[in-house]
Amino acid sequence: MAVKNRILVIEDDTAISDLICMNLTVAGYEVLPVFDGGQVEKVVQEEKSFDLALLDVMLPGKDGFELMDCMKENDIPVIYLTAKADVGSKIKGLRAGAEDYIVKPFEILELLVRVEKVLERTGKQKDEIEVGDVKIQLSKHQVTKNGETVRLKPMEYDLLVLLAKNKNVAFTRDQLLNQVWGSDYLGETRTIDVHIGQLRKKLGLSEIIKTIPKIGYRLEE
Amino acid sequence: MKMWKKLSALAVGAMLFATGIFGGIVVYQTANYNISQTISNYQRQVTSTTYAIGQEIRNNAPYGFGDETNRSFLQYTLRKYGGADYMLFQNGELTGNLTNYDVADQEAMPEWGMKQVSYVIQKSSDHYILIMGKQFASAGSGSYDLVLVKDISQIYNDIRRQAYMLLALYVAVAAVTVNIIFWVTKWMMRPLNELQWTAAALSGGDFRRRVHVRFRDEVGKVAEAFNKMAEQIERQVEELEEVSERRKQLLGSLAHELKTPMTSIIGYSDTLLHVKISKEQEKKALEYINSECKRLGRLSGKMMNLIGLYNDESVHFVEYQVQELFNRVEILERYHVAEKGMQLVTSCAMGAMPMDVDLMESLLVNLIDNAIKASKPGDTIDVVAVNNRITVRDWGKGIPPEEIPKITEAFYMVDKSRSRKAGGVGLGLALCKQIAALHHGHLEIESWLDDGTSISVVFDGPEGRMDG
Repeated sequence: MAVKNRILVIEDDTAISDLICMNLTVAGYEVLPVFDGGQVEKVVQEEKSFDLALLDVMLPGKDGFELMDCMKENDIPVIYLTAKADVGSKIKGLRAGAEDYIVKPFEILELLVRVEKVLERTGKQKDEIEVGDVKIQLSKHQVTKNGETVRLKPMEYDLLVLLAKNKNVAFTRDQLLNQVWGSDYLGETRTIDVHIGQLRKKLGLSEIIKTIPKIGYRLEE
Repeated sequence: MKMWKKLSALAVGAMLFATGIFGGIVVYQTANYNISQTISNYQRQVTSTTYAIGQEIRNNAPYGFGDETNRSFLQYTLRKYGGADYMLFQNGELTGNLTNYDVADQEAMPEWGMKQVSYVIQKSSDHYILIMGKQFASAGSGSYDLVLVKDISQIYNDIRRQAYMLLALYVAVAAVTVNIIFWVTKWMMRPLNELQWTAAALSGGDFRRRVHVRFRDEVGKVAEAFNKMAEQIERQVEELEEVSERRKQLLGSLAHELKTPMTSIIGYSDTLLHVKISKEQEKKALEYINSECKRLGRLSGKMMNLIGLYNDESVHFVEYQVQELFNRVEILERYHVAEKGMQLVTSCAMGAMPMDVDLMESLLVNLIDNAIKASKPGDTIDVVAVNNRITVRDWGKGIPPEEIPKITEAFYMVDKSRSRKAGGVGLGLALCKQIAALHHGHLEIESWLDDGTSISVVFDGPEGRMDG
């Protein structure tokens, strides 16, 4: 299996830290939780090569704004994750050099998509995603099954990438439409069903791309 | 119309009216006096002339001569005793006329009396002519009328000139006085204007503005009363602002504090709905949802308490023994303290005081709970009541000096993550502060790092509250 993206989760509330770690793990990331702002620099020194940091602003030890320099030095993109919803804090965070700013409370899907987009934008994203015996090479736009190239239509490819990047997370048909076809697409949700059917047939993923009743689809692993 | 204009218009009107009437009367009286003086002079003159001519006629009249001689005599006599202004009539016939006037109509002549000198004033175009006459009789030669005709226009002219002069003077003086009155009234009304501006400033939100009190007259007193009112308003507005600021802060902190458990609850339930996770993870998620909901519950309970304390109606004061309060608190805390391996030592040297028992109890329980959190097993916690203060002293880890001013703020925790684990929501001392304030008291906090903390409730009494 391809190497996973490593994410540093700096959050002092154990419940929220566990929540983020749990979801990022099942979505296919490798995570390391840190609870105290004072510990961060040590962790970064010891375990290099983080692709992203989710950073709470109000922390014991050093606060999120203070930690920004350390993150810059080590070339770790930062997404702030905070309860401070005021514009001033947002501006301060983004000015300091954060890639994104997520206000608590947030939805899991929002978190995952933002993480994915930041990784994409900063070029930290791993090029290969493996789903069973299917391998996706993002840079080449190539999908292979057991080493053999499978030809997919553009929309089928985008749909597969979205699901594969967010493993184990269920998307509603509307969310899939928005993400793949764009929010101004006026198609029916039936389109999704047709494309999912094509993916299952072409790649033999009937067992892996599951239909979740009343919700939508989920790529399980 | 503005007040000062009204007042000065009124003053000017009254002044002009009064002086006008006064001047009119003076002119009128002077005129009358001058005329009557002139007339009585002429009357005396006519009387004496009549007498002299009468004597002359009686003594020297030529008898037995013709009418011509007689007429000459009379003319001579008239010239001798009368003068340029006289006419003489004999039995109604004009016998001598030394005036520049002619008798136009004999019939129109008034009947002159024997005893008195009567007169008329004839006005022709712009001339006033005094015609004055007296009748006298002389034995044998019938009756005579001596008539004086005199142009007295001069007197009238004098009077008119005088009146004009007075009028001019009147207008000039009035013009000056009107100005003076206007300025003076305006000046006197200035405090009122200032009052108006200040009131406008006040209603516009500038509560610091005051009226400058110049004099201690009625307006000055109004200004003084106004200043007192403004002070009162300023104080009350400040108080209101303070209260609303505190509430806003409290609400802001609350909203912020609600977000942490909300994030967990929403996140875990979202995960359970959408993400494929293991059975163990599912259980963990449910446990987190459960504990975070409980935390929300505790938070809302404390919030209700804190909000309730702003509402004085819900507080009931009774006279209560401090010793009995201590007994109640000891019963409540006994197990809690024993469980942690600590000891609670109370000593009371206070009698009874008015208090809301439930609130004071929750205050002490809060302080003792804080002390327990800071202490190690084996420590003692002292609760002492002396004079006007109740002190809770622990020998635990203490509070850093820079944190002390902040710890009574709602939602403030010195050690955020640790206190949360201990079940705190950061409202305890904020509550205690409110309760102490309701009992006319305040909190005094002293702390030594690694040598414990002493928190005292000091009761200032109702007077003390006024100072604070």
